Amino acid sequence: MRAEQKTASLMAGPYAAFLLVFAVYPIAFALVLVFLQWDLVTAPTFAGADNIRLLVHDGRFWSAVANTFVFLSIHVPLQIITALALALALNRQLVGRSFWRAAFFLPVVISGAVVAILWSNLYATDVGLINHLLVKIGLSPVPWLTDPRTAMPAIAVMVTWKNVGFYVIIYLAGLQYIPRSCQEAIEIEGASAWQRFRYLTLPSLLPQTILVVTLSTINGFQLFIEPYVMTGGGPLRRTYSVVLYLYNNAFAYQKMGYAATIGVALALIIGIVVFAQRRLIGKAEAL
Amino acid sequence: MPSVTFEHVTKRFGDATVIEDFDLQVADGELLVLVGGSGSGKSTILRMLAGLETVTSGRIRIDDRDVTDLAPRDRDVAMVFQDYGLYPHMTVRDNLSLGLRLRKIPRHEIDRRVAWAAGMLGLEPLLDRKPKALSGGQRQRVAMGRAMVREPKVFLFDEPLSNLDAGLRAQMRIEIGSLQDRLKTTTVYVTHDQVEAMTLGDRIVVLADGRIQQIGRPIELYRTPVNRFVAGFIGTPAMNFIEGTLAADGGRMFFSAEAARLKMRAGTAESSEPITLGIRPEDLRMDFIPQQPTHGSADFDTLTGRVVLVERLGGTSHVHFQVGPHRLMASVASDSLPEVGHDITAHVPAARVHLFGGDGRAIGRTAEIV
Ligand SMILES: Nc1ncnc2c1ncn2[C@@H]1O[C@H](COP(=O)(O)OP(=O)(O)OP(=O)(O)O)[C@@H](O)[C@H]1O
Ligand SMILES: [Mg+2]
Repeated sequence: MRAEQKTASLMAGPYAAFLLVFAVYPIAFALVLVFLQWDLVTAPTFAGADNIRLLVHDGRFWSAVANTFVFLSIHVPLQIITALALALALNRQLVGRSFWRAAFFLPVVISGAVVAILWSNLYATDVGLINHLLVKIGLSPVPWLTDPRTAMPAIAVMVTWKNVGFYVIIYLAGLQYIPRSCQEAIEIEGASAWQRFRYLTLPSLLPQTILVVTLSTINGFQLFIEPYVMTGGGPLRRTYSVVLYLYNNAFAYQKMGYAATIGVALALIIGIVVFAQRRLIGKAEAL
Repeated sequence: MPSVTFEHVTKRFGDATVIEDFDLQVADGELLVLVGGSGSGKSTILRMLAGLETVTSGRIRIDDRDVTDLAPRDRDVAMVFQDYGLYPHMTVRDNLSLGLRLRKIPRHEIDRRVAWAAGMLGLEPLLDRKPKALSGGQRQRVAMGRAMVREPKVFLFDEPLSNLDAGLRAQMRIEIGSLQDRLKTTTVYVTHDQVEAMTLGDRIVVLADGRIQQIGRPIELYRTPVNRFVAGFIGTPAMNFIEGTLAADGGRMFFSAEAARLKMRAGTAESSEPITLGIRPEDLRMDFIPQQPTHGSADFDTLTGRVVLVERLGGTSHVHFQVGPHRLMASVASDSLPEVGHDITAHVPAARVHLFGGDGRAIGRTAEIV
């Protein structure tokens, strides 16, 4: 027994060390930093609750939070719809099914910066492919990334495209779990294709939908690379995300204590939102 | 007018012909059982009737309506699946009522039918539970209730009891039988369990390799199987078989095999082909003292053998014995049983003997068996 325990701790050791160095230590360090002022050069000084007080009254922070919510309100529903629709399509007997599955997964593993640059080109006002097509069908070009009204939605669409393959896999796995006899029973009982989706498929995929909502929300709150690469937070700060603000505080303005405060606040906000979402979905399920 | 008609129905999956030229008529209100071994095509036939599988050629009719090309929901059938196919996220009440809601049946009518089915099946206390909070037997009842509330033209059952334990299976078998008796809804019931087939079926269709072997009332299949397959399939324990030949001797036919010579009943036709003799374990009568050291008595209605195994089942027991190269089994009352290793004599009543020709077909079935 003792030998087994020894082996167990030996085997868990590397992972525990990893966790300690890359998760526990940074979290603890961030919590400490909240109460410090530190420019990375001179020695940190104790700042009490200054950072927290500043954050509460920082309009830029709260507008970044609002921007992120705008992003989420487009990204999360769109992510569910696209992933579900693609999963349903790919779940059929389809020619080249594994090719399509791989094709949709590919953007997930491509670097976010690369995708951002690619889409910057697609969105470009004068030379972008999207506007080229719009003009072709007789519409006027849209300045996707430079119009304050369209910039954040454009980024949300792009992020949705990038991640859809990952969520498709989650939904495809869920679809496998719907017993064939249930599908046949509801068909015999008289359900149309839409009713089969409404009364069987969609409710059966509730666990997967909760997962997609949670993951895409957490992921969405960390929006950074896309505005950083594509818009720098503009136009009119409309794409300025919380993490971009955090990054700039840390590495542009050298305010490590304040950046850490933003990070901790973001973690709290994510926790609250995800918790609220679960409560809401739980209520919806009970209906 | 028959309620369900199959006309020359053939089903191929790719190159494999699974059902060939299948003809069947199910009478109105009848409970017809399709029975056969695994892969014999039972489910395929049922699924074609439900519309879950297309037919390759031939027609299927329900009443006088050709349903061959209709979608499942337009056929007015209800099906009970082996794994029940209950909707896991819905309560029992919603499971029962969904089909009616989809068909826009008025609310009060839905409530009436759900209450009626729940009452009949004893589901009232379970109406607000979800399937995962039910036992196997309760799920089975919900699946039946879901079929009942639809009040369809035809009930389809695909091995509905095979996921239940033996006791529950026997109980549900009786319930299904009495339900169908009361509802008088035409039913096609698929099973591989011949006891279910015998006890439930008004008529039984025995299938092998996608072809009908025999159709008949249970007792007909038991008494006059048309071929060796049916003889071996229907009846538990299964019929004993001995390979041999027929030969005339002094105006009577005798069946001869190694270590066995038996007089056949009068009127048995002569035959030169290899013959299989079949006798049911319950038709053998046993004497524990061998009458003669030779094979059988002078009347040639007995086999002499040595007991190799006794299975005590309670009221009856199965006595396995060896006659020359033939392993046979007799089903006898447990009052007095032979010991393993002892010699016994088994009486083979000529009237109970089944004979099958080289192609497996029953022969010499002229005299009626009492
Ligand atoms: N979708 C399919 N594609 C190819 N072959 C199939 C398909 N469905 C059934 N078969 C074949 O058809 C034959 C009959 O199958 P079926 O399911 O009707 O048998 P069954 O009598 O119901 O057997 P069981 O008692 O095992 O359920 C089998 O050989 C099976 O392999
Ligand atoms: Mg089957």
